[in-house]
Amino acid sequence: MAAGVAAWLPFARAAAIGWMPVASAPMPPPPRDKRRGQDGLIILNVSGTRFQTWRNTLERYPDTLLGSTERDFFFHEETNEYFFDRDPDIFRHILNFYRTGKLHYPRHECISAYDEELAFFGIIPEIIGDCCYEEYKDRRRENVERIQDDEENDNNKDMVLPDMSFRETMWRAFENPHTSTMALVFYYVTGFFIAVSVMANVVETVPCGSGPNRAKEVSCGERYVLAFFCLDTACVMIFTVEYLLRLIAAPSRYKFVKSVMSIIDVVAIMPYYIGLVMTDNEDVSGAFVTLRVFRVFRIFKFSRHSAGLRILGYTLKSCASELGFLLFSLTMAIIIFATVMFYAEKGSSASKFTSIPAAFWYTIVTMTTLGYGDMVPKTIIGKVVGSVCSLSGVLVIALPVPVIVSNFSRIYHQSQRAEKRRAQKASKQTGQALVCKSNPTFETQHHHLLHCLEKTTNHEFVDEQTYETSCMEVSLAKPSMSRSSSLSSSPHGLSSCCTRRNKRKSFNVPNSYMADGRRSSIQELSTIQIRERPMSNSRSCLNAKFEETVHLNSEEQSYITAAVISMPTPPVTTPEGGDSASSPNFLQSNIVRVSAL
Amino acid sequence: IKCCISNIPCGIQNSVEDELELSAVRHRPEALEQLEAQTRFSRKELQILYRGFKNECPSGVVNEDTFKEIYSQFFPQGDASTYAHFLFDAFDTDHNGSDFVMGRSILLRGSVQEKLNWAFNLYDINKDGYITKEEMLDIIKSIYDMMGKCTYPMLKEETPRQHVEIFFQKMDKNRDGVVTIDEFIDCCQNDENIMKSMQLFENVI
Repeated sequence: MAAGVAAWLPFARAAAIGWMPVASAPMPPPPRDKRRGQDGLIILNVSGTRFQTWRNTLERYPDTLLGSTERDFFFHEETNEYFFDRDPDIFRHILNFYRTGKLHYPRHECISAYDEELAFFGIIPEIIGDCCYEEYKDRRRENVERIQDDEENDNNKDMVLPDMSFRETMWRAFENPHTSTMALVFYYVTGFFIAVSVMANVVETVPCGSGPNRAKEVSCGERYVLAFFCLDTACVMIFTVEYLLRLIAAPSRYKFVKSVMSIIDVVAIMPYYIGLVMTDNEDVSGAFVTLRVFRVFRIFKFSRHSAGLRILGYTLKSCASELGFLLFSLTMAIIIFATVMFYAEKGSSASKFTSIPAAFWYTIVTMTTLGYGDMVPKTIIGKVVGSVCSLSGVLVIALPVPVIVSNFSRIYHQSQRAEKRRAQKASKQTGQALVCKSNPTFETQHHHLLHCLEKTTNHEFVDEQTYETSCMEVSLAKPSMSRSSSLSSSPHGLSSCCTRRNKRKSFNVPNSYMADGRRSSIQELSTIQIRERPMSNSRSCLNAKFEETVHLNSEEQSYITAAVISMPTPPVTTPEGGDSASSPNFLQSNIVRVSAL
Repeated sequence: IKCCISNIPCGIQNSVEDELELSAVRHRPEALEQLEAQTRFSRKELQILYRGFKNECPSGVVNEDTFKEIYSQFFPQGDASTYAHFLFDAFDTDHNGSDFVMGRSILLRGSVQEKLNWAFNLYDINKDGYITKEEMLDIIKSIYDMMGKCTYPMLKEETPRQHVEIFFQKMDKNRDGVVTIDEFIDCCQNDENIMKSMQLFENVI
């Protein structure tokens, strides 16, 4: 329980008034509360550090906490100063804002702590001065991304919902391969087949020595047609099955079909099917050969297996504007230099620069400093232009590249950090468990509140284990179902988990909290299993502690109320809105096995 | 919201606060003297209450989600969101998120009559002056939801319904299927257990 929530306790307790009129039992008395709470120059005492300033300084900004009457709430009469229980270091900056009118963001401070202080003192972050604003925005964005990352990881990872349907389990297995062995096997199998398929595509084109009937060399694909066909078929079948399974398991099929990965999947397997369908028509088969190029897209399926590839793709996507700029400026430069080059070389004989588009190739090769040498200027002007072209090429390309690189590096480091944080989370949680402190006063009040809720509903909190055991001991056999149905208004009286568990002919008498009209039906109970209320559950322990401070009666006593046993007659503890004095006893008492009537 | 109970007005936002927006939404309470005059709290108490609230909720604005979160921390075993929602509606009578008018000190310092009024207002979900069985069932179910699953004895499907039946048998004197405010207050005042319980949360500060 966060210690910070303690401040909300009075509210929660006050709102508990809403339970009173519907409570089935009288409320327990509350625990004893011994809480005591305390132009010129204004003294601001922030956690012991005293700041002083003129009243006018503060009132310059009347819509902040310090500048308005809101600060009166923090006035401490005994020492005649305003006391704030906040961070003095950050407060320094806030006070400086009043003095100088400019708010600064200290680089060494944590962004969330700073934001909280700003929110507390009612200062909006937009007024951070230009000198510090960029830094502030950057840090804030990083923080938000980190929180989102954490949330995503929390949500995605290891969320084993017991009620997940088969479809959801399958989808989870696809998305996070390390969640189960089956998923891991599937992951590796598909990876293997992708590699095999790509290798086959490559090897197909390697010359394999001359065939028996031919003079020239044939590629391996043409030599071992059947083998490659079988291999291709096998791979495509695996990919098809995988795609269909993903389609079935996807929570949102429409979104899945639109996603990039699924398009890659489809493009990877389409050529095969089209080839099957296509006849051996000459024109069409030419186009079909082109389609086989698309088989190389299978290599992109590896991006599901490799995080680095995904990061690269994501980087390119996020650097779209830089890439666009690069492309645009390159195009401009190419056109300019190609034109100049063409006209410069127009004069020379046997010039390779036959047209401006032909000069494009030269310009690109020169600007990227490749210099193949297939087209070379011969005139002097041509050579001058050529050298200018290569120099400017270096500049134009070098400019946007660092931006892309830094983007990639940032995203890559983020993913590294996410991995590290996940690894650290486990150790962090164990550490936190040790450090957990609790506020004793708050705890007693909180327990009293929970106790009131128990009284209102006439049920008690128990922990998981006790719940499970109580679940096990309750069951409804078919014959007793009809009898118990008169007890409960609906056939599925007890929770379904119990009906599945065992078939012993016994069930708990529901507490006295039954409608009046049902009294007579109690006589028809075959057996009533009553047992000791387990003392190990947390609520009872707390109630036990309670007893020292509060006088509650009959908490721990284990006795059998006569009311329960008197089966032939309606139970004495008829609930009248839970007002009867014996009903609390009944609730907490043990239940004893009573044989059949 | 604590402020509204203790009658320190604070802004209650019905809309979801966009975390990424840089402009923090704030709210300013009325002046201390004014509040002191209007409520039944002493100056010191107001100071303490407000300071505590301000520490938890620096921006001074509580929206329904914060509400639900706070409540879920108090009742971790169950699902407190429905009850928190009803509470939120009961407090936000003017539905415009602006200052809460005074009179919220009802819950802590008000007379029993005022407290019962407030409780009636809570139960009457559609604020039409009558509590129907459906409304009561919703409220009771939300209270039971707060208990969660692991209770002893086990919660059954029809437990809330039975509870509602009992309540109506007690409160609905003329058996017309609804409980009016007079029936409610009458019946509560005649019930000494309820009266005793109402006195319980006096000394909250």
